[in-house]
Amino acid sequence: MDGTNTMSQQTTMTHGMGEKLFEGVSRKRLNIASEDICLQVNDLKLYYGNDIAIKGVSMAIPRNRVTAFIGPSGCGKSTLLRCFNRMNDLIDACRIEGEILLDGKNIYERGVDVAELRRRVGMVFQKPNPFPKSIYENIAYGLRLQGVKDRKVLDEVVERSLKGAALWDEVKDRLHENAFGLSGGQQQRLVIARAIAIEPEVLLLDEPASALDPISTAKIEELIDELKDNYTILIVTHNMQQAARVSDYTAYMYLGELIEFDDTLTVFTNPAQKATEDYITGRYG
Amino acid sequence: MAAILPNENTPRASLLPNTERRERLRKIRGIRDGISRYGVAAAGLGVIFALALIFFYLFYETFPLLKPVSMEVAYEISVPGDEEPAPTVHLTLDRFEGIGGRFSASGGITFFSPETGSILMRKQVNVPEDATVTAFGRSESRRSLFVYGFSDGSVLPLKLEYDQTFPEGVRVVTPRLSFPLGEEPMRIGDRVQGDYTALTVVEGRTGYVVAGGNQDGSIAMALFSARRNMLTGDVQISRQDYELPAISRPVRQLLINETLRNLFAVDDQGMLYNIDIVDPNRPRIIERVQLVADGASVTAADFLVGSRSLIVGGSDGSVSQWMLVRDEETNVPHLTRVRGFRQHPGAVTYIEPEYTRKGFLVGDATGTVGLHYATSSVTLKQIPVSGQPITRIAVSPINRLALVKGEDSEALRVIRMDNPHPQASLSGLWGRVWYEGRGQPEFIWQSSGADDAFESKFSLVPLTVGTLKAALFAMLLGTPLAIMGAIYTAYFMAGSMRRIVKPSLELMEALPTVILGFLAGIWLAPFIENNLPILVSVLVLLPLGMLAFGYGWTRLPTSIRHMIPPGWEAALLVPVVLVLGWVAITTSPWIEVAFFGGSMRQWFTDVGIPYDQRNALIVGLAMGFAVIPTIFSIAEDAVFNVPKHLTQGSLALGATSWQTVVGVVLPTASPGIFSAVMIGFGRAVGETMIVLMASGNSPIVNFNLFEGMRTLAANIAVELPETSVGGTHFRILFLSALVLLILTFVLNTAAEIVRQRLRKRYASL
Repeated sequence: MDGTNTMSQQTTMTHGMGEKLFEGVSRKRLNIASEDICLQVNDLKLYYGNDIAIKGVSMAIPRNRVTAFIGPSGCGKSTLLRCFNRMNDLIDACRIEGEILLDGKNIYERGVDVAELRRRVGMVFQKPNPFPKSIYENIAYGLRLQGVKDRKVLDEVVERSLKGAALWDEVKDRLHENAFGLSGGQQQRLVIARAIAIEPEVLLLDEPASALDPISTAKIEELIDELKDNYTILIVTHNMQQAARVSDYTAYMYLGELIEFDDTLTVFTNPAQKATEDYITGRYG
Repeated sequence: MAAILPNENTPRASLLPNTERRERLRKIRGIRDGISRYGVAAAGLGVIFALALIFFYLFYETFPLLKPVSMEVAYEISVPGDEEPAPTVHLTLDRFEGIGGRFSASGGITFFSPETGSILMRKQVNVPEDATVTAFGRSESRRSLFVYGFSDGSVLPLKLEYDQTFPEGVRVVTPRLSFPLGEEPMRIGDRVQGDYTALTVVEGRTGYVVAGGNQDGSIAMALFSARRNMLTGDVQISRQDYELPAISRPVRQLLINETLRNLFAVDDQGMLYNIDIVDPNRPRIIERVQLVADGASVTAADFLVGSRSLIVGGSDGSVSQWMLVRDEETNVPHLTRVRGFRQHPGAVTYIEPEYTRKGFLVGDATGTVGLHYATSSVTLKQIPVSGQPITRIAVSPINRLALVKGEDSEALRVIRMDNPHPQASLSGLWGRVWYEGRGQPEFIWQSSGADDAFESKFSLVPLTVGTLKAALFAMLLGTPLAIMGAIYTAYFMAGSMRRIVKPSLELMEALPTVILGFLAGIWLAPFIENNLPILVSVLVLLPLGMLAFGYGWTRLPTSIRHMIPPGWEAALLVPVVLVLGWVAITTSPWIEVAFFGGSMRQWFTDVGIPYDQRNALIVGLAMGFAVIPTIFSIAEDAVFNVPKHLTQGSLALGATSWQTVVGVVLPTASPGIFSAVMIGFGRAVGETMIVLMASGNSPIVNFNLFEGMRTLAANIAVELPETSVGGTHFRILFLSALVLLILTFVLNTAAEIVRQRLRKRYASL
C-alpha cells in the first residue's frame, strides 16, 4: 500500500513526464497487475425485462485510480456505473446477474444494506442536482442521514468538503444562501463536495462535466485529479480527450460488452482491438 | 462533404413556398396569433369580471344595511279637532299612514288625515255624568287597546281597529272603535277612589285586566271577563277584583306584561316596584328598583313590543332598557338594567315603541325627538322637532311616519323616517348582545320567531365558528389521510397500481355531495350513535393491525413475498382493513356492555358530554371524505413531480427511501401540498349539502366533537328561501354570503402568498 502513494504521484498529470498521449497530455504507462483492486466485476449481466443491457462484463477496478468508461451512446456504460451503487434497483423491471465485489464482498448479496453501500460508493450525476436547500444544508444532509447532529462536527465537515471540492473560497461567505444561486460548475462541485462529505471509498461520476462550460469543465477535471489520492474514481464520459486527460485506466464499451480495458496510455495509443481504435480515432459511426 | 453543397452551375430549386406565399402565411399566422392572444386575454378578463360582478352584487344587496338613517320633520298640520280645548292624551297612526287618531281628555276621538290635517271622523266615548277624564292608559302599542279613567273611579276600555274594504277596487280604511266590556264605564275595585294617576289595560287569555293607581300609592286591579250566553246572545261581564299591595308614594305609571306575571308600578321618585301577580289573589312586591340616578325621577316608561323589556326615561334625559333576568343561583327573575342609550338634552317626556321591532322614539323637554334601537343598542338619530317639550308621539306600524305634539303647540309635526335596517350594526353582528329573555350577552343566530314581538338575533359569530368547526374536523380527518396517501401513491406505489388508484380516487370527487350528506345524515349518524365504541376500536385496531400485518409481512419467507409484485403490497391491506372493520363492528356491543354499562351513548350523557346524533364527527367523516380527493389529487401531483434527480441524489448519498421522503421530497413538494390543503380547506368552508344534511344545523358556538353546528353556507341554503326580499334578514344573509366569500378569498390569498414564497425557495428545479 505504500507504493500506491508514490505511484499516484507519478501518474499525476504533469507535462513532460511519461509518454505523450496527444497535444498537451502525457501519461505514464501503468500495469494493472500491480494494482490494489477495489472493485471486482464478475460476469455482470443486466436485463431490462427481457432485453439484456449488459452482456457479462468482468473487470477489476484498481483502488485510488481514475477509471474512465467510454463508448458510444447506449453502450451501457452509465448503466454499468449505476450497478456499482445499485441505483438500478430503483428501476422496476431491472434484473441483475453476476456479482460486484467491493473490497471482496458482493454488493448484490442478500442482506446488504443498500443505504450503507451508497454511502460507501458516492455518485455524481450528469446534471448538477443540489437540493433546494442552502449550500451548508446540502453538504450537511448526508451527515444528518448518518445521525451527525453536533454543529461543530457539521461545520468542520462542511468546510473540509468544500475545500476538498475546491469550492470553499468561492462560497465561504454565503454558506446559508440557496444552492441554486451558484453557477452550474459551482453546483457540480457542490454536489461533489456533498458526495465526499460522507467519506465514501468510491466516487461514481456520470458525465460530470457534460453540462458545463469549458472553464468549469477544467476545474472539475482538476478536482478529479486531486480527489484520486483518496478515492477510487469511476467516470463515464463522452469526451475522449477528457478520458485521456483525467483517467489512469480506460474501459471501452460497445453494445453492452466490455471491448477493451487497459491503462489509458495503452488504450489511446496502442489499443488491442480494432473497434477501440476506430472509436478513438473518430472513425466509428 | 462537397456533395451536400449546392452546385454553383445548377442551383437547386428551393422546395419551400415562394416569397409571396410565405408572406401570406406570415399574415395568416399573425392574425391567428392575434386572435388567440386577445381571445385568451378576453377570457381571462371575463373570469375576473364575473368574479367582480358577484362581489359587486353581494355588496349591492348588502349595502342598504350601511345606509344612514334619515329622519326629518316633513311638514306640520294644525291639531285636528282643536276647537275642542281638551288636551291630547294619545295619538295613533294606522298601518297605511292614511289615518291619524287623536284621543282627547274629554273622551273625544278625532280621526284625521296626517297629510292635510282634515278631519275624517269623530267619535265620543261615554263619559259618566258629572265626571271628567282623569287618566288614560293603554296596553302595548301594537294592541291598540286603551282605557279611559274617570273622576268617579270608573274606567272604560276601548279598542281601535281598522276595517278595510275595497269598493270599486280602491282600498278604503275605516277606523272602528269597539268596547269589549260594553260602552258603559265600570269600576275597578272598591278601595281606590277616583282620581287615577296611572292606568293600564292588558288583554289576557281569560279577559281584560285593568289596573289603576292613585296619588296615595294604592293600586287596584280587576279582571273583566266577558261571557256570551249561548241562547240569548247576551254578553255577561263578570268582574274579579284583586287587592294589590300599596306603594308608599304616588303612582306615576303602571305596566303589566303580556304574560300577566308582573305589574310594574313606578312612583314619582323613580322607584319601580315589581309586583308578582302570577297568582293575583296573593300578589307580592318582589323587589324595588331604582331606575334612574339619584336625584332624578322617572318621567316616562313603556314596554318595547312584546312587553319583555322596559324602556325608562329619566328627568336627567337618560334612556335605559331594563328586563327581567333570571338569577343564576336563585332562579328568580330580577329587573336588570341591560343597556343605556345616548342621553337626551332634556328630561324624557314620552316614549313611543315601534310596533314590529325593538325600536322606539323618545321625546324630551327640549323638543328633541330621538330614534333608538334596543337590540343593536344604538341611537340612530336625534333631531330637534319643536321648541316646546314633547307631549305625545305616534309612530306608524311600518315605522315610516311619526306624529309629534309639543306642549301648548297648536300644530302636529309630521316626521318622515327611512330606517329599514336598524338592527344591522357591527357590534350587533359580531359582538355579544344581551337579548331579551337571556341571562347574559351572547352570540346567537335565531333569525325569525313566531310573531312580531320576537327579537331577531343576527350574530354571525355562531355561523362563522360553525363554518370553521366543520372545516376543521373535516380537515382533521381528510388531510392526514390524503397527504399520506398521496406520498405513498406518488413515491412508493408501483406505477401500474398508481394508474388504477389515482383515477379511482379522483373519481370520488365526482360523487355528488348531496349523496354523501344524505348517507351521513340518514345512515351514518344513527349507525355511529348506536355503535359508538367503533370509534375507539377503529382508532386503536386499524393502526395497530396494519402495523402488525406489515411486520408479519417482512418476516415471511422471500418466496412468498415475491409472489406480490413490488409496489403492490398496499393492496394486501384491503382485506386487513375490511376484517378489522368487521371486528370493530361485531365487538362494539361487547365493549359497550363491558365498559360503558351497555350504552356508550348513555354513558356520554352520564359523564356530562352533550351528544347530538348529527354532530361534528359525522360532518368531519362525510366532509373529510369529500375533501380527500381534492387534497389527494393535488398533493399527489406535487409529490410525483419532485424531480427524479433530486430523489436519486438523496438516495445516492446513502439515504433510505423514508429519509429521502422527509429530507428532500416533502420540502420540495411543500408548495404543492400546501396549496392542496388550502384548496381542500376552501372547499370544506364552502361545502353546503353535507353540512346541511349531517350537521343538525344548530347555530352553537363551541368546538365539541359530539355537537353539531350551522355553517354560513348551510344557513344561507336553509333561510334564503323563507326570508322576505329586501328585509334586514335577507340582507344579512347576503352579508353572510359576502363573509363566506371574503373568508375563502382571504384563505386562498394567504395560501397563494405562502405558496409563492415556498415556490421561490424551491425555485429553479
